[in-house]
Amino acid sequence: MKQWFGKATVLGTATAVALSALAGSAFANPYEKYKGTTIVVSWPALSHFKAAETLVEEFTEETGIEVEIDALQYLKLRDRQILEMSKDEGEYDIVSWVVMWKGEYVSKGLLTPLSQFFTNGALVDPEYDINDIADAYLQNGGVVGGTKGYMPGKSGALYGVPFGAETSILAYRKDVFEELGLEPPETYDELIAAAQMIKDKKGMGALTSRGKTGHQVTAAWLLHLAPLGGKIFDDQWNPVINSPEAVKAAEVLRTISNTGPTGIPSYGFSEMSAAFLQGDAAMYIDSLKIAAMSRNPKLSKVDGKVGFALHPVGSRCGSETGGFAMGIPANSLNKEAAFLFAQYMTSKAGDKRMVELGGDPVRISTLNNPEFVKQFPEYPVVAEQLPCADPDWRPLIPEWNELNIDVLGQALTKVITTDDPIQPIMDEANEKARAIMEREGYYAWAKYRQ
Amino acid sequence: MAEETDIAVPKPRPGGRTLTPYFFVLPAAIVMIAGLMYPVADAFYLSFFDWKIGTKFAKADNVGFDNYIRLLSDPDVRESIWVTFRFGFWTILIEMVIGVSLALLLEKPIRGASIFRTIFILPLMVSPVVVGLIWRYLFDARVGWINYYLGFIGIEPQVWLGDAELAFFAIVFTDIWQWTPFIFIIVIAGLQALPSEVLEASRIDGANWWQQIFLVKLPMIRSILLIALLMRLIDVFRAMEVMYILTGGGPGRATELLSLHIYNRAFDAQLLGYASAISVLLILIVFILSLGILVVGNPMKDKSDI
Repeated sequence: MKQWFGKATVLGTATAVALSALAGSAFANPYEKYKGTTIVVSWPALSHFKAAETLVEEFTEETGIEVEIDALQYLKLRDRQILEMSKDEGEYDIVSWVVMWKGEYVSKGLLTPLSQFFTNGALVDPEYDINDIADAYLQNGGVVGGTKGYMPGKSGALYGVPFGAETSILAYRKDVFEELGLEPPETYDELIAAAQMIKDKKGMGALTSRGKTGHQVTAAWLLHLAPLGGKIFDDQWNPVINSPEAVKAAEVLRTISNTGPTGIPSYGFSEMSAAFLQGDAAMYIDSLKIAAMSRNPKLSKVDGKVGFALHPVGSRCGSETGGFAMGIPANSLNKEAAFLFAQYMTSKAGDKRMVELGGDPVRISTLNNPEFVKQFPEYPVVAEQLPCADPDWRPLIPEWNELNIDVLGQALTKVITTDDPIQPIMDEANEKARAIMEREGYYAWAKYRQ
Repeated sequence: MAEETDIAVPKPRPGGRTLTPYFFVLPAAIVMIAGLMYPVADAFYLSFFDWKIGTKFAKADNVGFDNYIRLLSDPDVRESIWVTFRFGFWTILIEMVIGVSLALLLEKPIRGASIFRTIFILPLMVSPVVVGLIWRYLFDARVGWINYYLGFIGIEPQVWLGDAELAFFAIVFTDIWQWTPFIFIIVIAGLQALPSEVLEASRIDGANWWQQIFLVKLPMIRSILLIALLMRLIDVFRAMEVMYILTGGGPGRATELLSLHIYNRAFDAQLLGYASAISVLLILIVFILSLGILVVGNPMKDKSDI
């Protein structure tokens, strides 16, 4: 009896040793350590993120890390996230931000630099290949602190990875263009000529556009500002929204509003895309989301009639960079598990899976995937557009909210709802912008040097 | 008045005042202080700071009276106040006229009066957000019913919510649609409480229908009309949900009522301290207006000796 007991002990010990050896090699599965952890993800209730829910379930199945999703209407997202991230210990482990908010988040010290995870060999998947992620997306959504604080540059650091990012392309009605013998416009001159011709000959709205007072009308103008060679600030933070290029962009916007579908001054994104999808406009220039929307029978009456082309070129090529990126709050309690989540969702396999689920890719390899190219005619256009995407198409500084909504949003409304000469409107806006920058101390260095 | 009736009025105790009345108003006073005075005081405090959401308040800059100085010379605030007054003038005027007329028409027991009354007060029961959405779609330039039906009588589609004058008309129209029933309800309740002897007497004295309305009925419900006016006036300064959804204040600032202006400044432009300063101005305006109305015709005046 005693002998048996001894044997059992030996056996037991051996098992324990073997088990602990296994445990010691638990790094064979990098997720093992975080099994049972629950992370909370804050992101918007938008189609890309709805599609991602399936991938999140697959993540939990594969890794054992539980994920709780807090999906909010995207306009509510920032207030909620800021509130949560300014606590000592926050609820959120992953936050998805609109690229516009990144500067604010970082300047307020709310995010964790991702370098501390990318230097951890136990966490980083060697096959992650960050270079495969479209550079414009990564720079625009994730890098903070470079030139001007929001552009690529040596002083920049990575705070997030793009997820649900987008750029602008041109969508047009193939049937209408064929009927009128038009080619999709490659330049802004061609665009304006086509717009006038479509309005005159076909009587339908030419190019749909946002136009509602506030950030919507500003977004519409910015789309044309970058390709026409304009900027909001020069290198010294002097506003240049009354430059010839900026005035030209406002003129273009006025023409678009006059030749477009009825009601542009009241359009937000949903109204303006609906005008195209329901057949009241022949062209669309904005987020690439239109491609997926045009194939959705619930939204679209024009499926199969839509062609895609590059955002027209003015004095240079330039498209918007927008959408979302995700990162880890500074007050998260499960940062490593959160990193594993972000890495999984944006990995090569994850990115491919997102497309299968109906989301938007962020990786060049996914955009070039031959199977997807066959299925999604816009992919080659997007892949070609991305090198043109301009990370400086709008300044992502904290003051931008006020400039965007209070200054430009008002001035541009005047541009599209009146016939007043444009230059004085933009001159006035420029003065207001300067006053704001002055108030916030941007010219302190210039004065000091004098 | 009380001395002439037989109702026993408790006489003040000899030797001074009693604390009992104060004890009874204490709960209400506590709720008022916690729910109303504190936030107002806090907003007042905040108006001296330049604070950004997401940063510790302790780090916020104390800017003294900067926000108020800026306020005085801010054309946008002035424009927004002007919009609010114009909005208040038109909506209250038209609502009073329609509401009182309807009440006078439906006061008599005509067939189906209760059905009409129910229908008339329906808009009042709809949540402001839903009202905003309903009218936004009705006024939609491309697919809205209003443009669709105007098309039948040969009127070109109008950009209702994207043209300064039309958008202002749209918010006034929507407000009238929603709030006329409020006046209607209050006035009809007042009319029905009128003593029939007085009306009978006026009839015997030979007053015609018009005279009855303008010389008897309306003067007798004067205090009720005043209360309705006062409440609508305060509402005008609080109104924001419908415009927020209908136009967002646009185009430009054409429909940006003061409360919506404060919201946009606080949460869109992220100027919380400045928005608080404008809020203080808002409270001041409403306070003065309310006081003015109370002084002109205090509805409690006749009863002050109770």
